[in-house]
Amino acid sequence: MEGGEKPELIVNGKRLDGRDFGELRSLKIEAEVLKNADGSAYVEWGNNKIIAAVYGPKEALPKHISDPDRAIIKCRYSMAPFSSLEEHGRTGPNRRATEISKVTKEVFENVILLDRFPGSEIDIFIEVLQSDGGTRAAGITAAAVALVNAGIPMSDVPYAVSAGKVGDKIILDLNKIEDNYSDADIPIAISPRTGNVLLLQMDGSLTKEEFKQAFNMAKEAGKTISELQKSALVDPYRKLAEKYKV
Amino acid sequence: MDRIVIPGELLAERPIRSENTLVEGNMTYATVLSLFDEAKGVLIPLESVWYPKHGETVIGIIEETRLNSYNVDLNSSFKGMILSKFSETRFAQGDIVEAVVRDIDETKTVMLMHARSLYGGKIIDIKPSKIPRIIGRENTMLNQLMQGTMSSIKVGTNGRVWIKGGDASLATEAILRIQEEAHTAGLTERIKTMLESKNGNGNKV
Amino acid sequence: MAKISAVKGEYIVELLSKGIRDGPRKFMDYRKITISQGLLPNAEGSAQVDLGNTKVLVGIKMGVGEPMPDKPKEGNLMVNAELLPLASADYDAGPPSPESVEFARVVDRGIRAAGTIDLSSLFIEKDKVWSIFVDIYVLNYDGNLFDAGTLAVMAALLNTKMPRYENDAVVREGEMPKLKIGSIVTSCTYAKLGDKIIIDPTGAEESVMDARLTVTNDEQYIRAMQKGLNGAFSYAEIENLLEKTFEKSKELRKVLEGLKG
Repeated sequence: MEGGEKPELIVNGKRLDGRDFGELRSLKIEAEVLKNADGSAYVEWGNNKIIAAVYGPKEALPKHISDPDRAIIKCRYSMAPFSSLEEHGRTGPNRRATEISKVTKEVFENVILLDRFPGSEIDIFIEVLQSDGGTRAAGITAAAVALVNAGIPMSDVPYAVSAGKVGDKIILDLNKIEDNYSDADIPIAISPRTGNVLLLQMDGSLTKEEFKQAFNMAKEAGKTISELQKSALVDPYRKLAEKYKV
Repeated sequence: MDRIVIPGELLAERPIRSENTLVEGNMTYATVLSLFDEAKGVLIPLESVWYPKHGETVIGIIEETRLNSYNVDLNSSFKGMILSKFSETRFAQGDIVEAVVRDIDETKTVMLMHARSLYGGKIIDIKPSKIPRIIGRENTMLNQLMQGTMSSIKVGTNGRVWIKGGDASLATEAILRIQEEAHTAGLTERIKTMLESKNGNGNKV
Repeated sequence: MAKISAVKGEYIVELLSKGIRDGPRKFMDYRKITISQGLLPNAEGSAQVDLGNTKVLVGIKMGVGEPMPDKPKEGNLMVNAELLPLASADYDAGPPSPESVEFARVVDRGIRAAGTIDLSSLFIEKDKVWSIFVDIYVLNYDGNLFDAGTLAVMAALLNTKMPRYENDAVVREGEMPKLKIGSIVTSCTYAKLGDKIIIDPTGAEESVMDARLTVTNDEQYIRAMQKGLNGAFSYAEIENLLEKTFEKSKELRKVLEGLKG
């Protein structure tokens, strides 16, 4: 986690980018940005730029992987080789991407009504075009919107955000430099309707009390994220409807 | 205007069972992006995936001809099938067919009936959730489209529209506009105006 | 992970709903843990952990290589896991599965986060550092690879001797000091089936679990967490399991501390 000289991440009670401890970065979400996909979304979350697309439900291929009782989900999280501020990245799936793809898939298996489309598959693609920390959370948040845009029936629209620890301070939504030098990083995905935790990862050092604080911070931010997810989906419809209001 | 709801949003504290709702105890939640008519308790999907139902008309493409049957692509995870014994017409791979859903068998294959070829023309893909609006109440919108463009138009609930003859590009333009504005008020009037002002023959709609 | 017959799965779930676990254990009991060290003299360190019928072997080799470009003063720690085809009828030969990748990375994160190995002590000279290759071999799968894996890696690290680096060569003879180990970490893995939560699930229990939570800790801190599968946990459940982990990990740590090395 740590490497090189550790910079001061908190100066005069503010973070390097001027944020308060519990403050989200600027977040913009747009739905239906791709023509071919059945559903898509684009997220700008701080300096992260992430596009998510959904194809399906379609026939599950190869045939032997299909499940006669429910849809299966395939998920690919991938970082573009030009996405990071550092050197050119290796393309293709690496171990980190493999793990993120797996836990992301599991988030959506929880909320998609899989039994409505037996024998089918739903593909979720998350492409990180530019990364600045918290890309898996941003990817999940984007993919949730893309799934709704694709008309895939779901029990809820999950959101994700990362919390973390710098020194003895709990902070929300770590950017890359904070992530690199933090004392803990905790990506969390929540189903807002039930409060269920669908993704939880952590590494670093954390006490139970600090976890509670981090969790509450993530949940509070979730209100904002959920609202933006909904706006991305609803606003285009609302605007048109108002334009032609009788 | 009706409330726009997203998946997981509480619709009512009473069970409303429908294709696009989720009932847990006495609570009903939306499962897709929809318009919710509170008074009637009706959910009209804005984005949804097609689910085949008996009696619906679909537009398919013959994918494979077999000894006793035809496999039909329905632009869906559901595969269509026409049994030769139920069809007097013989089809070839690539044929466009209009057919009616007979039932869905245990392997989730959509068994089709009354299949007939659609010759020539073109197919456009439309979101299945917008198809009812293209047809309109008692076919009003569809009739208006056909009269205003002199095109033959067949609408499949599986999200496919077949257009042939007449001013097919005007018909396409109008259908895409209906898809875009499906949820807005006064759409039939606007499409009428559009067709009248744009069709070359000045046909009254 | 393992597919067992649906009948057996239903039986497990039915028993749990009555508050009973298949076998003699209570919900929060571990299976018998047996650890043996130093089985592989060719390796710098090794250990085998038997957790019930789950059998995990860890071999540690050290080599000299280049540091990561972003950490020029630190050695490398690389954790890899192999779900060997001989360990279960459900494991295939072939490229690493997402399950094996997740397994290796969760074990890696706990050890790394706790600073169990002081990576800066592995620095030799400019562009030359020690790399620690940790390979986890699953020999028999019967659930809870995460806890067995973390125990086995810790036991193997406690058993690891440092080769020397002389005249551009690695020397594995004579006096070899022990690898310096900082804090000891262990993990506790919980399976949720319906609304019941059990610790240390067997393969059969895992085959019907809805969700999994692994919490890795040392004496002071939570060091890593990983929730898995499509089920969910409530916040209250997680809070309880964190509490439980600090209690149960004492048992595991005691086993590790009792090792000779």
